[in-house]
Amino acid sequence: MDWIFSFYNYRVVAEYLPIFANGMWATVWISTVSLVLSLIIGTLVTLAHMSHRGWLNRSASAYIEAIRATPLLVQIYVIYFGLPVVPLLDWRIGALQGGIIALALNSGAYMAEIIRAGIEAVPSSQTESAMAVGMSYRQRMVQVILPQAFANVLPPVLGQAIVLIKDSSLLSIITVSELLSAGLTILSERVMPNEGFLTVAVGYLAIYLVMLVLSVYTQRRLGGIR
Amino acid sequence: MQNGQHFIEIENVSKSFRLPGGGVVNAVKDVTNYISRGEVLVIIGPSGSGKSTLLRTINGLESYDEGQIVIDGVDLGHAHTDMNLLRAQVGMVFQHFNLFLHKTALMNVVMPQTVVLKRSRSEAERTARELLERVGIADRADNYPSQLSGGQQQRVAIARALAMNPKVMLFDEATSALDPETVGGVLELMAELASEGMTMVVVTHEMGFARRVAHRMIFMDAGEIVEEGAPEHFFTNPRNERTQRFLREIL
Repeated sequence: MDWIFSFYNYRVVAEYLPIFANGMWATVWISTVSLVLSLIIGTLVTLAHMSHRGWLNRSASAYIEAIRATPLLVQIYVIYFGLPVVPLLDWRIGALQGGIIALALNSGAYMAEIIRAGIEAVPSSQTESAMAVGMSYRQRMVQVILPQAFANVLPPVLGQAIVLIKDSSLLSIITVSELLSAGLTILSERVMPNEGFLTVAVGYLAIYLVMLVLSVYTQRRLGGIR
Repeated sequence: MQNGQHFIEIENVSKSFRLPGGGVVNAVKDVTNYISRGEVLVIIGPSGSGKSTLLRTINGLESYDEGQIVIDGVDLGHAHTDMNLLRAQVGMVFQHFNLFLHKTALMNVVMPQTVVLKRSRSEAERTARELLERVGIADRADNYPSQLSGGQQQRVAIARALAMNPKVMLFDEATSALDPETVGGVLELMAELASEGMTMVVVTHEMGFARRVAHRMIFMDAGEIVEEGAPEHFFTNPRNERTQRFLREIL
């Protein structure tokens, strides 16, 4: 059994368990906040993208293209290091805020494309009947189109949410303490990569499995409707 | 009302569609007609004759290129006309029901009242339950559209339109997509509405209904009103050759 011990020393892992637990918790809440923000951004960008006003429409597609064309890591650097240095107040963006903003902006572009597909999948007859009872554009969107669009896109949105959770590991590079940085701590203090990174991987896997159960459950619930 | 007795005035209305290939279809050509309050007007004609397009211009779901439509003194073509307000007062029943798929039957009737008319939830629900009772579907109030038959969905759709207290009801081939055994019930419901004095414009292929319920009928072909008259006129001695041919085929 010695070889297992040298490959993966679970006693050391047990010792670091509080750090892993904190990291996991941080990953979960950072991802949740970023996910909610990215859904809001995605919805607004989609509505802008579908707008008949040229400048709104063009800014939305420029944003989506810019995000999709550049690596997330570069976006994180740009926002954390480059963006808001407010000179007079001597304030600069924190790692956590910067990281969450970067994640939300990044995921928001992908969410926008997903939500647009969902809106386009809502039959035009739904818009017509909403118009026929006198609903305004805003009322139609809020009451009729978006609820159905979100139900349509639940599977891809959950897929993107899982991508976002995994991407949040990049925030360790700008010193945010989350799940991956717990592994980095073991590496730097004990030089034990397996104990660090295998544990981290298991942590992400656990989050993924919870998401999977959640997705099956919500789809079953929505299944009754259609 | 400027022009006195007419409730709905349709004057010289034309509408054309540009086809993707570059052609142009003149769906409605220079149609003029006047509809009185409480009148039941039935529009018949072959498919592609423009009858549905004409109906859809009356609540602004379809724009028109020329002419004028005035409903109860409100000019649809006027830039300051609040089209949402107007549509709330013009009930529309579609061929394919178009119920809100994510709402139960009850909520299909409740939601437009609370959102558009700003009624309280309890008032809207009371109205909705009364209407569902009236259209004979109170026991299915908590079902989603996918759990209802076509006939049941169409009843809910009629209740939804009635909940807005419309000044006029438009029916766009309301029974064409229904199973034969459910057609009769929906037509019965429409006849009931007519007998209560509702102003109705009905596009239909149901000649029995037209004969029994219509006050006046229009035959349209190729975007034009070809013949107009009382139902008895149509079923006893239609003058126009196109009308005669259409009625021969359909009866």
